[in-house]
Amino acid sequence: MSPDGVPRYSDEDKCLKCGLCYSICTQVEELDQELLEKFNWIPPMGRYERVASARTTNYEVRNVCTDGGVVTSLLMYMLDYNLIEGAVVSRFVGPFNRVPMIATDRKDILSSAGSDFSASTHVGVVGDEYSTYSPGAFALKDLAGSMRTSRLALVGTPCQIHTIGKMQCLNIVPSDMVKYTIGLFCMENFAFSPLAKQEIESKIGATMDEIRKLNIKDDLTVTLNDGKSVHIPFDAIHDFARPACLRCTEFASDFADISVGGLGSLDGYTTVLIRTDTGQSVYQSALRLGYIEEMAYESYREKSDSQMQMITRIIDFVKQKRMRKT
Amino acid sequence: MSTDVMIIGGGIAGIQASLDLADMGVKVHLIEREPGIGGHMAQLDKTFPTNDCAICILSPKMADCFSHPNINMMTYSEVKSVEGEAGSFDVMVTKKARYVKEDECTGCGECVEKCPTRVPDEFNMGLSNRKAIYLYFLQTVPRVMTIDKNSCLKLTRDRCGICQQVCDKDAIDYEQQDQDIHLSVGAIILATGFSLVDALPLQRYGYSKIQNVITSLEYERLSCASGPTGGHLERPSDHKVAKRLAFIQCVGSRDTRRSRYCSSVCCMHSTKEAILASEHEPGSQSFIFYTDLRAAGKGFQEYIKRAQEEYAVTYVRGRVGEINENWNGDPVIWYEDTEADQVKRMTVDLAILAPSLRPVSGSAELAEVLSIELDEHGFFKTNPYLGGETTKEGIFACGYCRCPMDIPESVTSASSAAAGAGSIVFGAQRSVASS
Repeated sequence: MSPDGVPRYSDEDKCLKCGLCYSICTQVEELDQELLEKFNWIPPMGRYERVASARTTNYEVRNVCTDGGVVTSLLMYMLDYNLIEGAVVSRFVGPFNRVPMIATDRKDILSSAGSDFSASTHVGVVGDEYSTYSPGAFALKDLAGSMRTSRLALVGTPCQIHTIGKMQCLNIVPSDMVKYTIGLFCMENFAFSPLAKQEIESKIGATMDEIRKLNIKDDLTVTLNDGKSVHIPFDAIHDFARPACLRCTEFASDFADISVGGLGSLDGYTTVLIRTDTGQSVYQSALRLGYIEEMAYESYREKSDSQMQMITRIIDFVKQKRMRKT
Repeated sequence: MSTDVMIIGGGIAGIQASLDLADMGVKVHLIEREPGIGGHMAQLDKTFPTNDCAICILSPKMADCFSHPNINMMTYSEVKSVEGEAGSFDVMVTKKARYVKEDECTGCGECVEKCPTRVPDEFNMGLSNRKAIYLYFLQTVPRVMTIDKNSCLKLTRDRCGICQQVCDKDAIDYEQQDQDIHLSVGAIILATGFSLVDALPLQRYGYSKIQNVITSLEYERLSCASGPTGGHLERPSDHKVAKRLAFIQCVGSRDTRRSRYCSSVCCMHSTKEAILASEHEPGSQSFIFYTDLRAAGKGFQEYIKRAQEEYAVTYVRGRVGEINENWNGDPVIWYEDTEADQVKRMTVDLAILAPSLRPVSGSAELAEVLSIELDEHGFFKTNPYLGGETTKEGIFACGYCRCPMDIPESVTSASSAAAGAGSIVFGAQRSVASS
């Protein structure tokens, strides 16, 4: 990205002017109609078969996850049962520094736990800029030449899932490797200079090094190493949003197999939207095999009310994000 | 009068007929609709009952075809019209646009490397992907790239164009058009082969819904060292090595609602495939569900006995009623054991269907173009006592398009058809000389 947030060439001499980068850009409408038809998209946030509030049954995951640890457990299930050879996630390499990676075993998956909001909660250092955005597709690109597989799961933000969807419409590499997509609810990501970092630290009342976890639900929730939580309204950090994110209108990863986020669920649980047959098959099997468990309700009515509440909250955020652009 | 012969279909039968005639000094035009010759035999791993490598037998013949001065190989081509009679047929052949100049392309693969589009590979039965510009298969003849016009982004969306930029030989031509070529031939040999049964009987056994239910041709690609898994018997759902396999016979064949005839090769190729499973993965168990065991060829019965005794292949007499799937993606086979007179079920890692083999799609249209008749099953009607001559003089059929037969029989029938065609064109030569 250039300083003003517009994409730039990493090496212009290598460009073959094929035009594919333009075609698959989420801001270009060229392939949108095909994608909408492929996913039978319906307003306001795409089709979904089912909504649930779930959490992992693995205590090791619960200790490190952001919400319910559902993504981590789904990935573990897929790896254990050989449905995938790896998962594109982001790895924690230091405080506020995560890099995209291909996790190929349980240890890798666990090291990426808590990043189920990968793009929206963790901070990666890109150049001298801090950014919460983890370019997962970069890991895929590196893999394209080296790894012969067609079985990867991709965990990503709506824009990343949207782009992979467009690439799959065109059948272009390396999107053919991605068999399962788990999309995250995402309002925006942040990028800030060292100077802005100081400003954020003053809002939080702590240094970056003291932060253990970031989470986005109704606001930005910062959990410090001492367990204390600081809530920062979105308005207060709006200026630090990545310029590209301000152009984005998609909140709920409409083109994923499964969309997840903390929004709408109680603490310790993840809201799960199952969108496709593929997503349904993975979720049900993980549920049946005890990798995850759904929230227990006393009555059908209570469950139905809870589901309605989740949907209402998500739609509220979907609208907020869309309104922000217009 | 023409002394040339046209052979339609570049599988093992077409190749054999071409070589026989070409060696006799006859000019042969070999027409193949796929980008390369080889046919279904090129997709097979081994051949029964000797377990010889199929491509090792076929490759030298393919290379001979390519280099033989009397053979004009026209791949990616289809017959459009045929007029005339024995000794003098006027044929129009459409050479489909490859969008690659055949004379320039060296098959280096640079374009394939850089092409960004990946789509299912038909040669590997969709079990792996190929690029939009591709080599038909590893040992293909001619070794020339082909652009799939339905998936190439340049041809469908006017994007990309990378292959043209990276080709040193300037062999890519997006403007190429289909080309009609006129041929005068004295005789025609049909060697169009077979295709698998239509989808309905396969669907009855869960094919396309249950990932671990595959066809025998898919299995051949899985077990082939040059196939998508390098010869490892990885099942599609989770790529685990299949250790317990069920081979289901007569899928759509010997069925009054579908193909009433016996496909003639399934008992034997399933036996071969079960033996291969055991060779690839020692300790694996194979079960062959059969209606009647048909092992009528030379050494075939001994081959089955060897499978039972040396490779512990179990033959279960009984027709499978249904296949469903358990939670782990394992096919569950429901069948009637007609020896025990009981309905039973068996869970396996992989179920392999042996579908009925039918005349290749387009046979009826080709018969119309050639003004010849088909039999009740859609095979080209031939006179069994006249070397495969069809209902029109000067047109012969050999290989599976004539009737169900295995590879050695196809080769024999190809030679007999070549002899028949030869007698016509040599007759024409004599009449030309005497006049």
